[in-house]
Amino acid sequence: MSAPVVPPADAAGAPDPARRSPRAITRARRRASAARFWAQFRRNRSGMTGLAVLAVFALAAVFAPVFFDRSSLDVTQATGLPFEPPSWEFPLGTDDVGRSVLALVVWGARISLVVGLAATVISMVIGTTIGIASGHYRGWFGGALDRLTDWFLVIPFLPLAIVLATVLGRSLLNIIIVIGVTSWPGTARLIRAQTLTVESRPYLERSRALGASNTHQMTRHVLPNVMPLVLANTTLAVSISILSETTLSFLGLGDPTTVSWGSILEQAFSSGAISQGAWWYLGAPGVCVVLVVLAFNLMGRAIEDILDPREA
Amino acid sequence: MRTTRLLALAAAAALTVGLGATGTAVASGSPSPAPAAAEPVVFTVGMLGDIDSANPFTGIAAESYEIFQLEYPTLTEYASSDFSIVPGLAESWEESADKTTWTYKIRSGVTWSDGTPLTAKDVEYTFNRVLNGEYEQTNYGSYVENIAKVEATDDTTVVFTVSKPSPIMEKLYVYILPQHIWKDIDEKAVTSYKNEGTPKEPTVGGGAFVMVERKVGQYIRMQANDNYYGGRPAVDEIVYRIYKNEDALGQALKAGEIDFAEGLNANVAKSLEGVEGITTVSAVYSGFDEIAFNVGAALDDGTAIGDGNPLLEDVKLRQALQWAVDRQALVDKVLGGGGSAGSTVIPPIYADLHLEPANAFGYDPEKAKALLDDAGYAEGPDGVRVDSEGNELRFRLFSRSDSPTSQKSSEFVKSYFEAVGVAIDLKVVSEDALIEIVGQGNFDMFEWGWVVEPDPNYQLSTFTCANRSYKDGEDIYANLSDSFYCDEEYDSLFEKQSVETDSAARAEIVKQMQQKLYDDSPYLVTFYYDNYEAYRSDRFTGFVPQPDPDGALLFQYGTWSYESIKPVVKAEQGETGAPAASESGVNWPVIIGIGALVVVAGLVGALLARGRNKDIDSDDRE
Repeated sequence: MSAPVVPPADAAGAPDPARRSPRAITRARRRASAARFWAQFRRNRSGMTGLAVLAVFALAAVFAPVFFDRSSLDVTQATGLPFEPPSWEFPLGTDDVGRSVLALVVWGARISLVVGLAATVISMVIGTTIGIASGHYRGWFGGALDRLTDWFLVIPFLPLAIVLATVLGRSLLNIIIVIGVTSWPGTARLIRAQTLTVESRPYLERSRALGASNTHQMTRHVLPNVMPLVLANTTLAVSISILSETTLSFLGLGDPTTVSWGSILEQAFSSGAISQGAWWYLGAPGVCVVLVVLAFNLMGRAIEDILDPREA
Repeated sequence: MRTTRLLALAAAAALTVGLGATGTAVASGSPSPAPAAAEPVVFTVGMLGDIDSANPFTGIAAESYEIFQLEYPTLTEYASSDFSIVPGLAESWEESADKTTWTYKIRSGVTWSDGTPLTAKDVEYTFNRVLNGEYEQTNYGSYVENIAKVEATDDTTVVFTVSKPSPIMEKLYVYILPQHIWKDIDEKAVTSYKNEGTPKEPTVGGGAFVMVERKVGQYIRMQANDNYYGGRPAVDEIVYRIYKNEDALGQALKAGEIDFAEGLNANVAKSLEGVEGITTVSAVYSGFDEIAFNVGAALDDGTAIGDGNPLLEDVKLRQALQWAVDRQALVDKVLGGGGSAGSTVIPPIYADLHLEPANAFGYDPEKAKALLDDAGYAEGPDGVRVDSEGNELRFRLFSRSDSPTSQKSSEFVKSYFEAVGVAIDLKVVSEDALIEIVGQGNFDMFEWGWVVEPDPNYQLSTFTCANRSYKDGEDIYANLSDSFYCDEEYDSLFEKQSVETDSAARAEIVKQMQQKLYDDSPYLVTFYYDNYEAYRSDRFTGFVPQPDPDGALLFQYGTWSYESIKPVVKAEQGETGAPAASESGVNWPVIIGIGALVVVAGLVGALLARGRNKDIDSDDRE
């Protein structure tokens, strides 16, 4: 059962639907389906677990400056000794210059989440656009887009990302772009398949017969129908973006001036935390990545279950 | 030479504490018993790089030079105590009163390892080969630049005629080769001549050891030379084993596979400290790191190039910045304590030449701020200082992606500069890219370092006007200068020291030059870094540090340690035959960490499984 297609019988409880404008009806319908979605989501235990974990990290990221002053990232103002194991003063120990690993991880959450989300937005916009277009246009144009998707799909992600990151230089924006432009082909594939299903439906044939333009068909009919799939896929893609950011930063391709989970891992590795047995230095960012990725995956799964976009 | 700083040193991250805490209590394996009298004494050295060639006209790697100096004598040598010039193959030498000739007296009665006499004729042959050769000039050309003629007047006398006086004439580091062997290797054959030796036919040399075997990428074997003029060493054989990384090197030493580990990083060295039978050495080294300022990039003819921020041309600004950096904190936290705070461009390892400035820039951010205020850089609205025309003190600082040390110290410097109101945009690029950027003058500041030779000429030449970038056609090429410092007085001092053959007088000039550079501040020398070595003190003793007392034990300018080390005799060793205790202690924190990860992974799995089951259930229901 897909949200936009099934008309809500009397979800908004409006006494007289006929009196309202079409816009109001749509809005009411959307609100109703959102409420229904939330009701279902709330019953999904793994989805709620993911949401809770994510909420914790999001809060930590947003309120990082409240918990830890920015100066706690300044190497020259480190208060601890290098490689101090966890204590009450430093719950997650200290890094190789004596900064609190907890402060680093909390501040790192900002960059990791921002990069993950921003890169996913880029990837989703490209993926959805190309997916719909290649499904809609059947001629050489659609074919070309499809081949382009194939081409990006077969290039191994990591080498391509490394080359791009090297060419563009090391900055936060560049890492977002690199992840964004390398991770869209999967989405495009998915959306294209869904577009083909939607396009074969009778009402699209009807709208074509009534003279709807390509743009109208794509934005008014196809897009709303693939939206649930995009939404579910986005949630899953965020986790991949965060992992990519961590990977690239660990390989020394991230923005060297910011602290992200990947760059903490890189620092730990290059400063010899392993031979020092400083497990907290490597473990803290590692566990954070695992938890956030897991949270997004759990939520993605739950959303997928509820919206069940493939059935639509 | 420009240092591509070892990653090893780079990883010299602060590690002052925590060793005890991490509980890496590792019991050493039982020391192997001292070899019986009949068995040859083998000294095994583990190192991280292979030689690039055993041919002294071809090899340029540091490891190759270590082999060359073991195999071949030089006229003079650098003393182990303080790098002063001491007799080598030559007993004495003398510059003529008119400064046109140098006369070297060669030791008499010396023979090559194959028994052929080693005479002044061999010296004459070697120098003429370099003088007349083309390929032979690559490695040794700089030593013979001003030599016009070489002549062996008898078996123990060599006379050099020079075109102009030069202090280099006392430091002719050209390896003397046996004429009877090398005369058969013509100018074409020499380019591909391996000179590796075999157990049956070792190389013929006049040094303490000759080479008997090499397996590329694996090991090199050297055998003591019975005919060495310095006396046959106590060690019969040296084996160099090549390891891929520092951790493997440290483990090999711990396990007793090798007797000496060269080029460790701070972490591995620290993990070896306190291990029974192993002594670690944080040896003072001849390298320094600096923050270089673009003091006005220009070609050697004075044409301005590049896009450097012109504000850095103000010496007052550069001096103020010198006060803003806590160099000792850099040593402690970036190098893990393995080094010393930097001052001038000639490291203190060269005690005779190094100047410890009387007007040293300490760490005093308040003074830095006051100096900036006085120089007319008032604090702007957002905390960044501005000059009288409102230009912000905002500079690009390039650090090297190849070196974690570089990145870390740049991060420190950025914080220190920003604390006094100077904004820094940190940029990380590869060393190759940075050479290009610096050569074109497209920078404000960068972090890099140099390794300084005992003779200061090369290092000092990197600040002369003539060594700024040059133009060939339309293209600009980098030269030695990377700060584009250019000063008439400095240049004239440079000329003066390059022809001053009295070492005390020359040292005086060299110190003046250091003072000038210190005051003019084209460089902010951050630190002098150490080189970590470790050896089995339960097996060998008698190492000679260069310089005394805290210098390097191997890979010196000379072969001092090789000639004097001795195996530790059993009696001195005390209790031997301790049971081969368990090789590794239990590292609880790591185990706990891994355990925690396993638990997390387990939870994840469980949650996922639950989610799945529930999904299936709900699907069924639908």
